[in-house]
Amino acid sequence: MIMAEPASRKVSKPPTDQPAGAPATPAPVEDMDLVKRARRGDLGAYDELVRRYQERIYATIYHMTANHEDANDLAQEAFIKAFQALRSFKGGSSFYTWVYRIAVNKTINFLKQRKNKSQMSLDDLDFHAEHDPDLVALISEKTPRREVSLAELQEKLNAAMQKLSEPHRLVVTLHDVQGMSHEEVANIMDCNIGTVRSRLFYARQQLQGYLIDYLK
Amino acid sequence: MSTDQENFESLRCLLSLKRHEAPPPGYFDRFSREVIERIKSGERGAGFAPLERMLWEAPWLQRFWAAIEAKPVLAGACSVAMCGLLIAGVIYSDKAEIPPVGLVPVAETGSAPMAPTAMAAADHPLLAKPAVFPETSSTSPIPNGPAGTSLMGDIGQLRAQPASFSFPRGN
Repeated sequence: MIMAEPASRKVSKPPTDQPAGAPATPAPVEDMDLVKRARRGDLGAYDELVRRYQERIYATIYHMTANHEDANDLAQEAFIKAFQALRSFKGGSSFYTWVYRIAVNKTINFLKQRKNKSQMSLDDLDFHAEHDPDLVALISEKTPRREVSLAELQEKLNAAMQKLSEPHRLVVTLHDVQGMSHEEVANIMDCNIGTVRSRLFYARQQLQGYLIDYLK
Repeated sequence: MSTDQENFESLRCLLSLKRHEAPPPGYFDRFSREVIERIKSGERGAGFAPLERMLWEAPWLQRFWAAIEAKPVLAGACSVAMCGLLIAGVIYSDKAEIPPVGLVPVAETGSAPMAPTAMAAADHPLLAKPAVFPETSSTSPIPNGPAGTSLMGDIGQLRAQPASFSFPRGN
């Protein structure tokens, strides 16, 4: 199961306010309709909203925490908090962007409070990973340790990600993993595009240093 | 720079591995259900005002609110009706007769019989009013209370007797 494909593969032309990774079918108007119904206590409508965005919200939190259980708790709490705060949602942004901000803020607060790094609890790789041409080429041609397995590579990659600061990890997660544009990342992180670019460059440099043995 | 870009390209290929990380099968089928269950189990009303909480719990209020949201004319009519009721209430309250304060007859305290509740209160030690003693002063430290009310009984009743000294003559 591919959790987060780049935006270019899924959405041809995303709406201005909607992140690129959002599902292509639901229009913002439909989201607003569901939000209005959820405000009136229609839990079925809110269930539909949760189903629409649960995978990407979970994936973002998971990539930030590298822990399935933490990601599960935080994602659920983010949706519950969003439901409780529905009255404050004015519709200035899409529901997806709004709930995304809630999830990101909740995750960053959690990571700040988590003093010591907890053990990673990684999700399994899906069947498609072994056949991903990029990964196959990376392992067979460029990696000096050609005997390395995907599972080991996954563990090293997640360990390197955890060494980044939260803002740098978030930028890499949203842009390089989730496939969002700089503008969308800046919108979610509430900063300008220049900051996003500089953070992305620095984070990539850091990651490159950590993973140098697996890149050349 | 081109080397850096190439390296970043390799890094981006490596990062694509993270897109293949997936939770256990069926996880997302349970996820939304668990969220809704947690909302139903009491976390729903935590962030709502009492009026909104009442809306959640009363389906007819939800329908009424939905109708108001859908039809602004209905909302206007309701608000006009509410204002009319408010104005009528104010006018009615102004016209209500209130008896003048100074014309209420005062019952004579001496001839009026004691009410049964007052009698019961007097009999009950907890309901009885405490005995009120006149204020004492430094010149008359002993209160002149009713007999038997003092804890010390008669011991506490001091009497002042005039002292007379007679001196024998001749000395």
